[in-house]
Amino acid sequence: MGHLHTAIRTNVIAAAFAVSLVAPVVASAQPDHASQDQPQSGTGVEYPSLHLSGFADIDFATQAKSEGPRGFSEGQFVLHLASALSPRVNFFGEVSFTPRADAGTGSPPATGFNAEVERAIIRFDQSDRLKVSFGRYHTPVNWWNTAFHHGQWLQTTISRPEMAQFGGKFIPVHFVGGLVEGSLPAGGLNVNYQAGVGNGRGNVISRAGDAGDNNARPAWVLNLFTKPDRVFGLQVGGSLYADRVSLPGQPEFDERIIAAHAVWQHEDPEVIAEIADVRHTQDGAALTTSSLAYYVQAAYRLPSFARLWKPYYRFEHIDIDPADPVFAGVLNLDGSTIGVRYDISSYAAIKTEARTKERASNQPRTNGWFLQIAFTF
Amino acid sequence: MGRSVRHIAHRVLPLAIGCLVAAGPATVVAQEKGDVAVVVNRDVPVDNLSLSELRRLVLGDREFWPESVRVTLLIRAPVAHERDVILKTVCQMTEAQFRQHWIGKVFRADTAVAPKIVYSNEMSIDLLNRTTGAIAFVDAPQAGTNLKVVKIDGRLPGDPGYLLR
Repeated sequence: MGHLHTAIRTNVIAAAFAVSLVAPVVASAQPDHASQDQPQSGTGVEYPSLHLSGFADIDFATQAKSEGPRGFSEGQFVLHLASALSPRVNFFGEVSFTPRADAGTGSPPATGFNAEVERAIIRFDQSDRLKVSFGRYHTPVNWWNTAFHHGQWLQTTISRPEMAQFGGKFIPVHFVGGLVEGSLPAGGLNVNYQAGVGNGRGNVISRAGDAGDNNARPAWVLNLFTKPDRVFGLQVGGSLYADRVSLPGQPEFDERIIAAHAVWQHEDPEVIAEIADVRHTQDGAALTTSSLAYYVQAAYRLPSFARLWKPYYRFEHIDIDPADPVFAGVLNLDGSTIGVRYDISSYAAIKTEARTKERASNQPRTNGWFLQIAFTF
Repeated sequence: MGRSVRHIAHRVLPLAIGCLVAAGPATVVAQEKGDVAVVVNRDVPVDNLSLSELRRLVLGDREFWPESVRVTLLIRAPVAHERDVILKTVCQMTEAQFRQHWIGKVFRADTAVAPKIVYSNEMSIDLLNRTTGAIAFVDAPQAGTNLKVVKIDGRLPGDPGYLLR
C-alpha cells in the first residue's frame, strides 16, 4: 500500500511538473484569432502548413551472417512530416517502414515491412528560451540519436555507432513523455538545455513504453550543451538519464546513464566523440553494474575538385559488465569502420565502408564490406 | 551463389555508380556585386547584430526576436550574390552544406519552418514590409531609405570593414 502511495505521489509530481511548465506556454499559444492562427500578412502562410519529406536507402553488404543481412537490402523508408499549426505551435512526425524477414504470417514467416511511428511531437514555442513539447522522441541522452534520426543520408557513415543502434539496448533510443527545452545566450556560450519526464524502457528494454509505463517510476532526462560563438561549429555537452527498469520475471533495477559528447560540426574536419556509462542497481540488493561505451569518428571533406568525396573513420568500443542481467545478450565490441562518402547531388550520396569487429578476445574478428545509396526526397 | 554475388559486384555496381555519378552536381556561379544589407521589418526591435547573432538567425538556431516575435527568414534562391555572401561569410558553408543543414534542422524537429526563398530584391523587400519579424538580405543600393537596415558588428553597408560584401 505504501509502495502504491509512493508510486501515485511520484507520478502526480511528474504530471504537475509537466503541467506547470506547459501552462504559461499554452496560454500564450492559445489561438488569438487576430494574430496567431491567421496567415501572417503577405507571407501566404496558412495553418496547418504541412511539409512532407522522405529518406530512403538501398544497401549491399557482405558480412558474417551473425552480424546482419547480406547481399542487397532495402533500408528504412522514412517519411517526415513537419507542420506549423500556428506561429507558436508545431507538429513533427516520423514514420518508418522497415524491411523484415519475419514481418508476415505463415511458417516460415513471409518477408515484409514493419510500420512504426518513430517520433510524434507537438511543441509549443514560447521563445528561444522556452519550448515545451509532448510526444515520442529519440531520447536526448546521446548526440547521434538526436542529430540523425532515421535519415541515413544525413549521417556521414552507413552505420550508426552500435551504442546508439536502432533496436539496440545500450541506451534507451526512444522516450515517450514531455520535454522542456531552450537556449540561453550566456555571453556567447549559447547554453542549450533539454529536461524531460516520461516513460522509459518497456518490458522489452530496446523498446519505449509506448502504451504506458511498465512501472510506477517515470524516467527523467537532462541534457545540457553549449555551442560557443567564438568557436563556431563546436558543440560540447552532457546528459543524465534515470529510470526504473522492470523486466518480466526479474527483479527491478534502477538505471542511471551519464553521457557526454564533443562534436566539431564542420566538414573539414568533422569530429564526433561520445561516451556513456550505464549503471544498473538492483532494487533492494547490493548488485551494481557499470557498462561503458564510446566512439570517436573523424571525417574530412576533401578540398576543391574533390569536394564531393568525404573519407571517414570510426573506432567504437562497448564493454558490458558480465554481471549485469539487464544487458544479458548485449555484446562487447571493439570495432573500426573506414569508408568514404561521395555526394552525387545535393540530395543523394553513395557511401562505402569496411568494418572489422572483435566481440571477445578469444573469438575471431568479423569483417564486412558495405555499400549504400542514401537520399532524401 | 558466391559467383552470382561476385558477378553483381563486378558488373552491375560500377554501372549503377557510373549512372549516378554522371548525374553530377550543378555548377553554381556567383555574380559580382557590392555590399549586402541586412534589412528587417519595421516592427523588429533590433538595430545592431553581431556576426554571431546573424549566423544564429540564418542557421535557425535563434527563432525569436526580443519580445517573442518569431523570425521569418527570407533568403535569396541559389546563384544570387546576396545568398552567396551570406553562406560564405556568415554561415561558412557551401550551398550543399547549407541545404543539408536546413533539411537536418527540420528533420530534427528543431523548427517546422525552413527559410522562405525569394527570387529578387524586389520580392525580398515586398515580403519584408508585409511580414512581421522578417529579415532579408538585399543589394545595399536597393535598400534605399525606406527600409530598416541593421548594423552588423556596428557597421552599415559602405562603412570601412563592413563584412557582408
